[in-house]
Amino acid sequence: MSELWTVQHSYLIPLLPLIGAAIAGFFGARWLRGGSHWPIWLGVGASAVLSIVLLLQTVALLGQGSHAGTDPAHPPLGAANPSVSAPVKLFTWIAAGDPSKAGTNQYFVADAAFFFDPLTVTMLCVVCGIGFLICVFAAGYMRGEEGYWRFFAYLGLFIFMMCCLVMGDNLIMLYLGWEGVGLCSYLLIGYYYQKPSARDAAKKAFLVNRIGDFGFGVGIMLAFAAFGTVSYFGADGYGGTNGLLEAAAHPETLSEFQRQVLWWLPFLLMLGAFGKSAQFPLYVWLPDAMEGPTPVSALIHAATMVTAGVYMIARCGTLFVGNDAALMTVAFIGSFTALLAASIALRQFDLKKVFAYSTISQLGFMFVGVGVLAPVAGVFHLVTHAFFKALLFLSSGVVMHAMLGHLDMRQMSGLKAVLPKTRWLMLIGCLALAGVVPFAGFWSKDEIVAAAWHASPLLGAVMLLTALLTAYYTFRLYFRVFEGPRVVPDTPHPDHHGSHEHGDSSGGAGSGHGGHHSHEPAIMILPLVFLAIGSVIAGVVLWQGHRLGHFLGHSPSFVTAGELATATFNPKAADEHHLVNPLGFGLHDTRPAELQQAEQRSHYVFMLLSTVIALAGIAVAYTLHLRDRPKADRLALRLSGIARAIENKYWVDELYQASIVEPLRRLGQAFYAMDRFVVDGLVWLAGFIPQLGGFILKLTTQRGYLQGYALSMVLGVAVILFVVFL
Amino acid sequence: MTSTLDQVGLQHYLAVGAIMFAIGLIGFISRRNLILMFLCTELMFQGVVINLVAFGGFVGFFAGLAFTIFVVVLAGAVASLAVGLIVLLFRHKATLDADAWRELRG
Repeated sequence: MSELWTVQHSYLIPLLPLIGAAIAGFFGARWLRGGSHWPIWLGVGASAVLSIVLLLQTVALLGQGSHAGTDPAHPPLGAANPSVSAPVKLFTWIAAGDPSKAGTNQYFVADAAFFFDPLTVTMLCVVCGIGFLICVFAAGYMRGEEGYWRFFAYLGLFIFMMCCLVMGDNLIMLYLGWEGVGLCSYLLIGYYYQKPSARDAAKKAFLVNRIGDFGFGVGIMLAFAAFGTVSYFGADGYGGTNGLLEAAAHPETLSEFQRQVLWWLPFLLMLGAFGKSAQFPLYVWLPDAMEGPTPVSALIHAATMVTAGVYMIARCGTLFVGNDAALMTVAFIGSFTALLAASIALRQFDLKKVFAYSTISQLGFMFVGVGVLAPVAGVFHLVTHAFFKALLFLSSGVVMHAMLGHLDMRQMSGLKAVLPKTRWLMLIGCLALAGVVPFAGFWSKDEIVAAAWHASPLLGAVMLLTALLTAYYTFRLYFRVFEGPRVVPDTPHPDHHGSHEHGDSSGGAGSGHGGHHSHEPAIMILPLVFLAIGSVIAGVVLWQGHRLGHFLGHSPSFVTAGELATATFNPKAADEHHLVNPLGFGLHDTRPAELQQAEQRSHYVFMLLSTVIALAGIAVAYTLHLRDRPKADRLALRLSGIARAIENKYWVDELYQASIVEPLRRLGQAFYAMDRFVVDGLVWLAGFIPQLGGFILKLTTQRGYLQGYALSMVLGVAVILFVVFL
Repeated sequence: MTSTLDQVGLQHYLAVGAIMFAIGLIGFISRRNLILMFLCTELMFQGVVINLVAFGGFVGFFAGLAFTIFVVVLAGAVASLAVGLIVLLFRHKATLDADAWRELRG
């Protein structure tokens, strides 16, 4: 793979957005102004092109490889999955300790190096490709905003950091990108920093992520202490034994200490993943993060950054798959979060809040995927989710743009007359999210549900229930906002930034009756069309013949994780139904043919079942939110206890406020008082004593007698002489 | 033959210097007349200068002699300033008593 020119020039992929960000950041305020999006468009666009070329080249490379095998129909496990990867070292970033003890924890080295394999390439295409579409949209959405250049500079920086995150060859690079995207997220959530709610949301996101990152940081340190390296596969790439994942892949060669560390490591890493990907105890920041501009919600808080946790677990799968407890925790937390967030989304009235909880829920699905030994399904859902959730967020951005900042679905209805194109785009996104055949979400969600069922029927049932809720809340939103009688809010929202309005809508009353003013400028609709195409076809294209699975199966991470999982769990399997499914890792399926066929059949049953469930959810939403809306209100009134619990998000925020934030604030106040009165008091005392002494001396000795001064001077000299010479 | 002057050694010069310095010091502390106090400081100056000259002459270290010239010139400058100041002070209070300026508490 390293012979590809895109790999040799891979430094361009992160560098170009960074250069764009620097240009927009340094020259945007004075010179570029309204044209600040150009450096970002060019930089991210070039990166997107490079990523896609890299993807095509990698696919072509794998195509050649498959003909080289002697018996392509039934090759042995290892040979069937020749991993394709390339390490690219730019320079040594950090080196500390004794170089003669390389490979032990006496010598720390972190290279600024990239590691290319199918997983990286897939993630790069998502980050740069979808990132580019969102950047294009953002230029239309943010037009005329104050600080336009600042917005695009942050976007470029974000893409750079995200590229570092997915391309890095070691945990330190991952951590760099991880913190970098966290910073950009903070800056962009707080983009409207004049609004106190935006400032608070930004701080909350940053602080909650800190909790997770603490675990992640400790995990990295522990990994280095035990294994003497932080690189996934060592500087020489996959194949040796000097990488972290390679060491973990051979548990029989490890010392007792290393085995202990290996047991704890996944829990620490998953803490970071739960923070960044907004999973159960740490999910509270994501709904608040919707304070940021809508393109930010789409790019950072739906499509890319929040999936970093899933990427991390998929990448470090080898550390997880040997550990039953860790896998179970990931799957449990994922399913619990999925259900919890989906239930909260049932009764949110803000479009973006619904999608925020939906994102948390879908991320839960991905975690279930990686937790039940099916990282391929998790990454598959990551890709399709990136398309349709970006589409949904940006569509709601169009709605917000047209409705002068209003996002409350109680105040709008029947918008299909006002926003005909957006309506279709939103419908496609909703169908994909609800999991209707043949839209993208269906295939990936189905794969996760099937894998979850394979692992534990209870888990599968929870996932199916969540799918039902998902279909319901998605179409509740759609039917409320786009169907039914036309209701349009006619006064701008108090938070609305007046500049959203285009110059040509000079009437001001442009909403609703806009005959001349377009609510759907091409610059905002075109990127959505591409995302919609992706939301329609990405699922079936990638699912067909396990295309994505076999592609990802050539990633060393998936190969080592799959082999380790097989070696760990197959000897313990009660019967052949409990064998690890190699397809979950994109590996060649070596299990008995009849078992495979039976599984295939049950998979089809699942597809049917989840279609029925999705349609049922849509039907309920249709009844309650289109045909008979008063009935929905009556129902809510009858179940007012539950409705109130859900509307208040189960009081989780309040619980955190009371149990964590308030005690910490009290502690902080106590420390402040300690500092103010005890420490500062001592310092003040140290200054006061000489002052007091001086005052007393002034009163007693400074009395204006010249002779007295002279005498005391003489006595002083005498004392000094006495001391010096005796 | 040895003259009386030949028997005068370094100690004698130093003793004269020390006596002059001591007289000046005691005078400065005990008198309150500004002019007298000023003269006493001059006396202390000359006591020190005698020390310098004596060491310069006996040790053969001529920097002491050169330094003496400086001090004498400086003392002259100081004298002109100090007498001017004393005249000013006298014009204010019509007395030369240093205690008259006690409220300055300098």
